[in-house]
Amino acid sequence: MKRIQAELIFLRALVGVNLASAMEYRASFISQIVGMFINNGIYFVFWIIFFNQFGTIRGYNVDEIFLLFAIVTLGYGLGFMFAGNTRQYMAYLVAQGRLDYYLVFPRNLLLHVIFSKMIVSTVGDVAFGLIAYSFTGRFTLVEIGLFLTTAVLAAIIFVGYSVITGSLAFYMGNAQYASQQMTNAMLTFALYPNSLFSGAARMMLYTVIPAAFVGSVPVDIVRNQDGRLLLLLVGAAILVWLIALFLFYYGLRRYESGSAINVNI
Amino acid sequence: MRDVVVHVNGLAKTFRVKQKAAGLRGSVRSLWHTEEKEVTAVSDITFSLEKGEMLAFIGPNGAGKSTTIKMLTGILYPSAGQASVLGYTPWKDRRKLGYHVGSVFGQKPQLWYHLPAEDTFRLFARIYELDMGEFQKRRDFLVESFQIADLLQTPVRKLSLGQRMKCEIAASLLHRPRIIFLDEPTIGLDVVAKQQIRDAIRYLNEQEQTTIFLTSHDAGDIESLCKRVVIINHGRLIYDNSTSALKRQYLRRKIIDVRFAEPLTAPFVLPCVETLKQGTYGVKLEFDGREIPVETVVQQIMAAQSCQDITIADPPLEEIIREIYKK
Repeated sequence: MKRIQAELIFLRALVGVNLASAMEYRASFISQIVGMFINNGIYFVFWIIFFNQFGTIRGYNVDEIFLLFAIVTLGYGLGFMFAGNTRQYMAYLVAQGRLDYYLVFPRNLLLHVIFSKMIVSTVGDVAFGLIAYSFTGRFTLVEIGLFLTTAVLAAIIFVGYSVITGSLAFYMGNAQYASQQMTNAMLTFALYPNSLFSGAARMMLYTVIPAAFVGSVPVDIVRNQDGRLLLLLVGAAILVWLIALFLFYYGLRRYESGSAINVNI
Repeated sequence: MRDVVVHVNGLAKTFRVKQKAAGLRGSVRSLWHTEEKEVTAVSDITFSLEKGEMLAFIGPNGAGKSTTIKMLTGILYPSAGQASVLGYTPWKDRRKLGYHVGSVFGQKPQLWYHLPAEDTFRLFARIYELDMGEFQKRRDFLVESFQIADLLQTPVRKLSLGQRMKCEIAASLLHRPRIIFLDEPTIGLDVVAKQQIRDAIRYLNEQEQTTIFLTSHDAGDIESLCKRVVIINHGRLIYDNSTSALKRQYLRRKIIDVRFAEPLTAPFVLPCVETLKQGTYGVKLEFDGREIPVETVVQQIMAAQSCQDITIADPPLEEIIREIYKK
């Protein structure tokens, strides 16, 4: 218990320093948040125009697209708001031998790495996700509870998956590009209704790029209020993290450090 | 009883390094035909370090110094051998060891770049789980020792290299480490900043018996701080003795500066002595102590002409180290 408390105090301090560091440049801080909000909005408007034209698409109507966007953007935003290193830099830190900084401290290595970078623009994602949900018309307590729970699970899966892709650098060397592309692919595929895909492509969305677990599956859970599917989602989150922990800590034995000069936090 | 802080026995580290022929053709070929070479960074090194010792761990670039430090701080797993730091095996007990070890990598800052050093100090208090009252006292002591009171509120990016390094070292001492690994702490600093950092390190060592494990290419750091030198080259330990023994063993050559009362009218030449420089009133001479004793040289100088001043010096430590590296 004392251990967990110490870890939480440390993480709170780390997040505080992160936030302070991000706010050092006020204009950049605000423009990133607003920029991401507008970026999501453009995508969103595209779908509204599309559904006005065609009504439904393979079982999805415009309300469900709102819900899909709400869960994916809120999950993505919550996940990477404080876990920015996994989204952008983890493979780079590993390949460049820059984990040294974290390894000398008496803290949980993975948590320290994950929470050492904040992606400011994700505040825009979180705000967008909450506003998008207000368009879904699902305001019962159960629906709101399921929405928030699935968004948190999506966040956990997003971060876990990016730990997996980032850890590839232990095995492949320079995996930064591959890592970013895989996480980008997960986000992109998550924003489309799952029913659009079939066969191998659909299978891929449940395995190699588990976009279904951060998009379509949460949408099904909220709209059908499906407890069994919720348990499946919890299981998927646990499985993603077990793989992530194995790949990270097994890979750490292969870590080779490096002689690169300078790492600014 | 000896209080051994670091014990290293047969420690070794090898890396597998990808080999590729030069140019585009080599790159294309390496896509499906990868050749790897095993490179030995550290090979079978053994040494111990006692509490309160200040050890200079030196060697040329690529000798294996940083790799050794990284194994002793738990950053790297060794390929073979054992090491114990404060009773812990670094790569197995990384977190437990971390509470008692400080490290400063001169080329890898720990302070948050965009924030004042004070913010990183407070973060470190949380990282090392320090009591905030104790932290405040310790912080004040270090601020005084390193004379950094007026630097703490300035974003690190705005500090000079010397100012930043003082803050870096102070930060690494906040948790009262029993041993501190300093990897090139004075790299790129001017003479004043170097001296301030050396003074502060010496003060900490005297006050708290902190064991210092120093790597540096600066002979001044070694001479002014460390009583013992370990030299590593090509991954192998080639020298482990006191700094004074190193000087005695390798300082066969002496340098004599002479100032004469009268101007010199002819080239100043002595048997078995090399004249390095000659001016109107002075000469700089060098000789090998094994070939001719110091007193003989001095007698010959005084017999040749009336002297105002004579200074006998050892060549700089840098030259000795260079000589050892060449072997």
